[in-house]
Amino acid sequence: MQIKEIFSSQLPVGEKLTIKRNRFSPTEEKSGNKRVSIVSGIHGDELEGQYVIYLLATWLANNPNALRGTIDLYPGVNALGIDSITRGFPIYEVDLNRSFPGGDKEFLPGQLVDALAQDVKGSDIAIDIHSSNIFLREIPQIRINKEFSEATLPLAKKLNCDFIWIHDAVTVLEATFSHTMNKLGTKTLVVEMGVGMRLTKEYGVQLLNGILNLLKSEGIIVTDEEYEQREPFSSEIGDVFYINSPKSGLFVAELNHCAMIEKGQKVGSIVNPLNGEILEELFAPNGGIMFTLREYPVVYEGSLIARIFGNPDNEKN
Amino acid sequence: MKKIEILTIESLNRSPLTIEGYLFEGSDPKAASVAIVGAMEGKTVLPLYSASKLVEFLRNEIGNKEKIRGNILIIPSINHYALNLGERFWPLDKTDLNMIFPGYGAGETTQRIAHKVFEALSGYDYGISLETRNDLSSCISYISLLQSGYEDIPSARKCGLRLIHHKEMKPTDTVSLQYNWQLWGTKALSIICPSDTKIETDGYKEIFESMVRFLYAIGSIEYKVMLGYDSNIVYNKGIEIVKTPKSGIFIPTKKTGASVAKEEMIGKIINALEGNVVHRIFAPCDGVITCVYNNGLILENALAFRILKNASA
Ligand SMILES: [Zn+2]
Repeated sequence: MQIKEIFSSQLPVGEKLTIKRNRFSPTEEKSGNKRVSIVSGIHGDELEGQYVIYLLATWLANNPNALRGTIDLYPGVNALGIDSITRGFPIYEVDLNRSFPGGDKEFLPGQLVDALAQDVKGSDIAIDIHSSNIFLREIPQIRINKEFSEATLPLAKKLNCDFIWIHDAVTVLEATFSHTMNKLGTKTLVVEMGVGMRLTKEYGVQLLNGILNLLKSEGIIVTDEEYEQREPFSSEIGDVFYINSPKSGLFVAELNHCAMIEKGQKVGSIVNPLNGEILEELFAPNGGIMFTLREYPVVYEGSLIARIFGNPDNEKN
Repeated sequence: MKKIEILTIESLNRSPLTIEGYLFEGSDPKAASVAIVGAMEGKTVLPLYSASKLVEFLRNEIGNKEKIRGNILIIPSINHYALNLGERFWPLDKTDLNMIFPGYGAGETTQRIAHKVFEALSGYDYGISLETRNDLSSCISYISLLQSGYEDIPSARKCGLRLIHHKEMKPTDTVSLQYNWQLWGTKALSIICPSDTKIETDGYKEIFESMVRFLYAIGSIEYKVMLGYDSNIVYNKGIEIVKTPKSGIFIPTKKTGASVAKEEMIGKIINALEGNVVHRIFAPCDGVITCVYNNGLILENALAFRILKNASA
């Protein structure tokens, strides 16, 4: 266990910003040992990754002899954001995950992401844990850019998540950590799970199992423990259906997150508290699993309410 | 002049957001048409002020309607909700509207806003977007023109501003208004305004005049203002970056637009608790200060100044 500051900046008044990494190294260093980096908190309002990394750090501390490679933990990248419930880098109001790769000659947030990318560089695998945002709750899922899927999909399947979402390359996402690291040769996976500002313990345990499974299958840890793995469903074999709010108001959910639903089933209502009126009732456009559900009830016209994954329903009537 | 409604979005507790455009119909159908967007974000007022003064000018001061030859659409504000709260971005989810173009009519709220606005802005010959810097700095008024492959430098020169930053594309620029506007055939440019939140009476004038000059030069109006600069085209390599090795209270002793000589003092950093000067910032080259960090408190290694090197201008 070896803690290092990978970035620091003295703040104006009696305080220093530091981004820390904790490195777990094997008792025996061998050439060819792999290195894995686990990152979270690039968005300051997302905390689920903190819990997963806590669980992993505990496991590693308790099993020092299991290690055959290097594991680097970066739980709190946007340190100031995490401590102030701010998604972006405070003061500058900038999304760090749209600021990569950054550089030494850029404004401070650009220097910070550059320091992270340079430090993670050389890892064989990186996992960037996000928890959606404060508005939406997500089941544990891996987001994969098609451009890198050949390298990353086999790893994603070992992470014990419920869903693998392979998306097309979008230029704006080239400014993310995962794109930058994939370009630099580190196979990088993005996990989205849970909801902003909260911990979902069962998801934390689920992902820990997945990470340990991946580490074991890559030969980075040696253990007799067996990790049961879920069979994730994949966006390759179905479609994602969106429900966006047709009205502004207060969203009241009818169903629980993760529910299996049928086409036409009621998902919830948009209501007006002032006069008790139901402004709109929302129904599933297709059957399947509701893997995303609105958590923050205040909505505008267009706000995302839910996402359903399923096979397109045949015309039944 | 016609006031046109571009979009209305209801809110649970706030008044509906209604985005309006002011359309001045030109007397000559063959004359060049222009659309101008003022404030897309809050926390700064110059884009709003300059655009609204242009509305007033075209409505009341130009004198004769015949003098407006081409169609001119002005949308002074898109993000009233942010402006009214002193927030920079869309207040609910902090989306930067200038990172969501061309929008999507069936998508998220902000995608729908961008979509409707983009529909209203499409088809004009020329486009001007008034913006401010997004890196906590203020600057001289200048033109930012993306190296998109669709950009038009000759028309950008017609504003007569001192600098045209011919900017390398970043991934996030692909979702900006300027880029998408260009992609769809409008000769679009951005005027980057100083980030002032308080303004003096005449604070809008340089930006305002550059727009009037532009409108005249492309033949949209008959109203001449004084000639502007023969703009310098600037690339990143021509800009010298000045970082501060110390944090504390930041006191720039030179303002944006100032000509400075190498080794001249341009700012200082004060220990925030003890008041002593902990660092003096000197110009690393001869040139003109284009950007200054826009906050009284500064972090270690933050970018304090950008200087356009004389040799490169
Ligand atoms: Zn995130």
